This record gives sequence, structure tokens and C-alpha cells, in this order.
Amino acid sequence: MKPMSILRILNAKFALLGAFFGVSTGLATAAPITLNFWDMQWGVSEYAVAAQKIVDRYNQEHPNVHVVYRSVPWANWFSTFTTAVASGSAPDISTGAGFQAVYFFSQDVVLPVDDLVKEIGEDAFVPGTLDACRYQGHYVSLPWGVDIRLFLYRKDILEAKGQKVPTTWDEFRAVCKAVAGNGVYGYVSSGDSAGVHTLFVTSINNGSGLFAKDGKPALTSDRTMEALQFLADLVKDGSVNPASVGYQGFDAVASFFQGKAAFLIEGPNMPAQAPADVREKIGILPPMKSKRGDIGTNYWINSVMVYKQSAHPKETMEFLKWWSDNEKPVWTDGHMASFPARKDLLKDPYFQDNPNYKYAIDVYAPISKTIAAQKGGTFPELNEIDGDAAFSTLIQQLWQGKPLNQIVPPAEARLEEIMSH
Amino acid sequence: MKGFGTTVFAKPGFTTAVILLSPSLLLVAAVIAYPMALGLKYSLSSGSLLRPGGFIGLANYVKLLNSPNFYNALQFSVGFAVANIAGCYTLGLGIALLMQKGVPGQGVFRVLFLLPWIVPSLVAVVSWRWLVGDESAFVNRIIKAFGGSPIFFLSTSGWAILIVILIKIWRSFPFMMLSLLAALQSIDRNLYEAAAIDGATPRQMFRYVTLPQIRNISIVLCLMMMIWSVNDFDTPWLLAQGGPANATQNLVILAYRYTFDRNDVGMGAATSFVTLFGLMVLVFFLLRLQRRK
Repeated sequence: MKPMSILRILNAKFALLGAFFGVSTGLATAAPITLNFWDMQWGVSEYAVAAQKIVDRYNQEHPNVHVVYRSVPWANWFSTFTTAVASGSAPDISTGAGFQAVYFFSQDVVLPVDDLVKEIGEDAFVPGTLDACRYQGHYVSLPWGVDIRLFLYRKDILEAKGQKVPTTWDEFRAVCKAVAGNGVYGYVSSGDSAGVHTLFVTSINNGSGLFAKDGKPALTSDRTMEALQFLADLVKDGSVNPASVGYQGFDAVASFFQGKAAFLIEGPNMPAQAPADVREKIGILPPMKSKRGDIGTNYWINSVMVYKQSAHPKETMEFLKWWSDNEKPVWTDGHMASFPARKDLLKDPYFQDNPNYKYAIDVYAPISKTIAAQKGGTFPELNEIDGDAAFSTLIQQLWQGKPLNQIVPPAEARLEEIMSH
Repeated sequence: MKGFGTTVFAKPGFTTAVILLSPSLLLVAAVIAYPMALGLKYSLSSGSLLRPGGFIGLANYVKLLNSPNFYNALQFSVGFAVANIAGCYTLGLGIALLMQKGVPGQGVFRVLFLLPWIVPSLVAVVSWRWLVGDESAFVNRIIKAFGGSPIFFLSTSGWAILIVILIKIWRSFPFMMLSLLAALQSIDRNLYEAAAIDGATPRQMFRYVTLPQIRNISIVLCLMMMIWSVNDFDTPWLLAQGGPANATQNLVILAYRYTFDRNDVGMGAATSFVTLFGLMVLVFFLLRLQRRK
């Protein structure tokens, strides 16, 4: 073959290649942008189905953007997110644990959503929820759900033993003691992070928490120690199911549903997840007066965050705004234990006609605080505290009946270590 | 005089060997050497997975070796490994000897005995939680049926440790049994005949014929079981998440907690390297033992 012919053939091939890539580029430009949305498994199986439907609706209404929905299990959630971020494969947007966003913001992983909050309006959110997302003058995520922890009780167990609904810690202790026996206990909890909520709820109830107002660790403060003593007294009375040490959160819920305990700390809509014949037997305790006569409980503000690794931050923010405006079905069809952070959604009959939701919204929400109490606001260390084994160890040892003077100092030392980072 | 390098390079077929080996070598470098080097770098650094910090020398190792958590985890890991090896070797050898003798229904038993090994760890451990989880669990019902008081197996440190060990033995013995059965079947029958002619009792045959013949495979099996026990995350985590009160927290769970609970990847990596070093020392001594006549 002549050299000239070879050149011609090569030219023709390059021309074809050029035409192919030209077409490909043209197609790529026309193809929709893909956004990855990682959503935690917030409740029963209906939740993910409802969330997927909303995403499908968004995709239909926005042909130039394609949102891929992925339901993320809570097991090892933190390693799921950190390894994704560390390997450069973070989602564009995600829901997450209460203090995930502020920690990620401190690590330069998520974008502030200040403009979005401004656009929606600060008044659109339940009071206090935005404070839980504000750090260093920025909104690190968009408040989405309010997850209150409160005492649920079994009406049938109290009635069977002729007990009134307790309104103070002293009454609670007496009722627990009165109902215990024959495989039934006053209180059931767990040895995992759900069990640690008991510590948060009772210490905030007693006007304290993990921190003093100046932000210093306060696990050994008088008020928090009183809360721990209250729990230790319940154990001493034989009112706490000893299996709580080894239980996980769902074991404790199952035990409560089976009528083996009179009280449990959970979310307001948890009764909806009970078997049909049990639902009506469950009630919410009115806020109890603590040893100091205070009332209060612990809540978690779950939020949605946008990742810096996103190649399409503008479109992601637009999707977040749309999601926040159109999220109603995830609550009404998804049967969550928590309720929305958007005030307009709370007016929906789904919440107003549900006595448990309504009670939690009207009575408990105004007296709830995050684990940042009594300092307030939010800070990255809370994320580590939220999952640290020192606190699950503390609660396990508490349920084992070990003396407070042995088990609290190591947890306090760990808290100080975390705060000194 | 030719140097070593010159001699090796000059060997016929050297280039071919290098070419043939290079894919494997590259694969080993990619999946073992690179992660190990990265892990070592992390163990000498501060920071988290999201924001790696600077070089801090051996500070993580010093901190780890001064931590009571490390010694608690080390103690559990050693006890867990020793108990598991002893338990599953005894059980595995006992069943293998019975199988070799030819019990009726041997095929069925062989499949049944293999089940614990085949069942996924999640299913196995969650099933055990149902058996011992609380006072209405199956085991406690049996205890109560015999007039006993229920035991809160996962609430008391001692009981939780015992249950974790039992589950591990239950899950591990089929492998031991299968391997030892194969070793027993490969022993030359003439040795037993010779021993019988010399008047050896069954116990003496076991002591002086069987055990020496399965010595090497036993050392290798114990070595593997030790590595698997020390590196076992599933059993103590799925059963009790390292609890109660860290009673079943081994070195692997400790490394996991440092890395993901505490966001301290340096301490997590240091824990892993100390574990690796400890295992390598043990492997070295056991392999030396195996080579001894």
C-alpha cells in the first residue's frame, strides 16, 4: 500500500473518531445531571417507599436532573459516610444523624445552606430547630425532623395494678416498684445508644445535661448526678429489666410491646408501630417533675446536608428546596416516629388528629433540648459524644447496678478528652 | 567472581519468569502492600479519615500502650483465642475420631456438623441472641422448667464472655473436624497394625501413633484458628457490641471504635498494627515449632 493511501485512511479514521466524540459530547450535554441522595432509614419500611415516590415525582417534573435515591441503614452509618467522603465518593445530598452536619462542616465536607434558609424563611421552622443547625454563623444543614424522646407507658399494666399516671420522679419510682413482678418490670431500656437516651432525657429533665452553661462538661454536676442516682435507684428497686444491659433499642421496644415493662423512652409516634391490639394500650406520660421540680426532655434535630464534593451544588440546593417544600408524604405515608421541622406541615390533619403527635408538638417540643444542653447551639464534638462507647459503657454499668462513684468518673474523663480536641 | 545479582539475572528464563510473575506481584502490591503502607502512615499521623493530620511519630503507639482499654481488649482477645482453639480442637478432634470409626448415619451427621460453619455469621449470632437474650429466651425457659432462676447471659460480663466463646467454638469446630478427619484418614494403617502387634492399647495408639501423625496439621489449624479468633469482629460485635461494659471488646473492635466512633484513624491504625505484630510473632514461633522434629 502506498504511504499516501495510509495517510488518507488514517485521516478518514480520525475524522470518524472526531464525529463520534462530537456526537457523544452532544449526547452528554443533553443527558440529565445525576444527583445522589442518601437518605437514612428513618422508620418502618413504608418510609423508603414514600421517599422514593417523592424523588420519582421530582425526576418527572425536572427532566434535566435525575436524582438517585438510596436508603442507608443506621448500622455503621458513620463509617458509611466517612469512608465515602474519604474516598471521594460522597453523595450530593443526604439526611443524617443529629450532629453529623456540624461535624462534617467542621471538616470542610458540607456546604452552608444560609441562602436556602433565607429563601424559605426562618419563621418556617419549629422554634429551636434552626439553632441546632447553626455553627460559626452558618446554617450547616436544613432542619428536617424533630425527634423527641419521651416516656411512653402501658395503660393496661398501670390499670391492672391500680396505679395512677406518675407526674414526678418519686411517683414514677413508686409506680415502677408497684408494677414489677412475674416477668414484668417498671422500666425497660437498652445498653446501646438508645439506652444512653435515658441519661440525656433524665439529666435534661433535671435542668442539667452533659454541659454547664459555660460549655464545660457537667456529667458530675449535682443535677446530672441526681438524674443518674434516680436511675440507679430504679435499678436498686429491681424495677429495671436486667436484660436491658444486653438489649439493643429494638429489643427494648419489643419487650415493651409484649407488655413486659410499664415504661419506655421512645418517640411520640412509636405506638403506631405496635401491633394493632397494643396501640391503644400505650400512652405518653405528661412531662414529669424532676427532683428539682424541673420539666424537660431531650430531642434530636435531624437535618439534610449538601456535600462539597457535589459536582452540581446549585442543582442540589434546588432539589433540597423542592424536597423541603414537598416532603409531606414521607411523614404521612412513611409513619415516622418523629415529626417535621417545617411548621406548615404540622398543621396537617395527619399530625393534628393524632393525639400522640399533637401532645408531643404542643407539650414536649417547647421544653425539649438537644444534648448540647445547657450550653445550647451545636458544635462538632457532639457528633463524637453521640456515638462514643464511653456513654454506652456508662449506661450498661448503670443497668448492671454498679456504684456511680466508680462508673461516672471515666465517662466524665472521656467527655473532657473529647471537648479538649 | 560473579555477584549474586549477575548470577540470577543471567539465569536462563529469568525475563520470562519476571514477565509471568509481574501481574501477581502487581496485584499483591495493590491489595496488600499499598493498604499496609497507607495504614502504617495513618498510624504515625494525627487527624481523622476526613481530614488527615501531620506526622506525629510513635505518639499513637505510646498512647495506645498506656491505655487501659488496650489491655482490656488484649486480655479478652488472648483469652478468646486460647479458649476457642482449645474448645474447637477438642470438639473437632473428638467428632473426627468418631466419624473415622464409622458411626451409623455418618453422612447425615457430617452435613449436620457442617451447618454451623455454613450458616452466615449474622444469622448464627442473631439466632444465639434469641436463645439467650433475656429471661423468656429459650435457654432460660429450659432453666425455669427445671426449677432454676433465669440467667441474664448478655447482662453479666462473665456470662457474656462465655457465650461469645461458645458461639465461636460452635461456628469454628466444623472446619477443625473436617480438616482433622482428612488428616486421620491419611494416616498409614500399617502403623496401627504394627502398634497392635506390639501390644499397644487404644489409648497408647492414640498417644503414640495418631497424635504424632496429625501434629503438623494440628499446628497449622491452631495457627489459622488463632488468627481467625483474634481478627473476629462478627461474633462479639453482633452478639454484644463488645459489651457489657467492654467485657467482649477485642482488639479489632477497639480499632474500629477508635477509627469510626472516635474519628481517630491514627489510633485505629496503631491498634491494628500492634495486633498484626503480635500475630506475626506468634505465627513465627508456631511455624518454628512445626519445623522441629
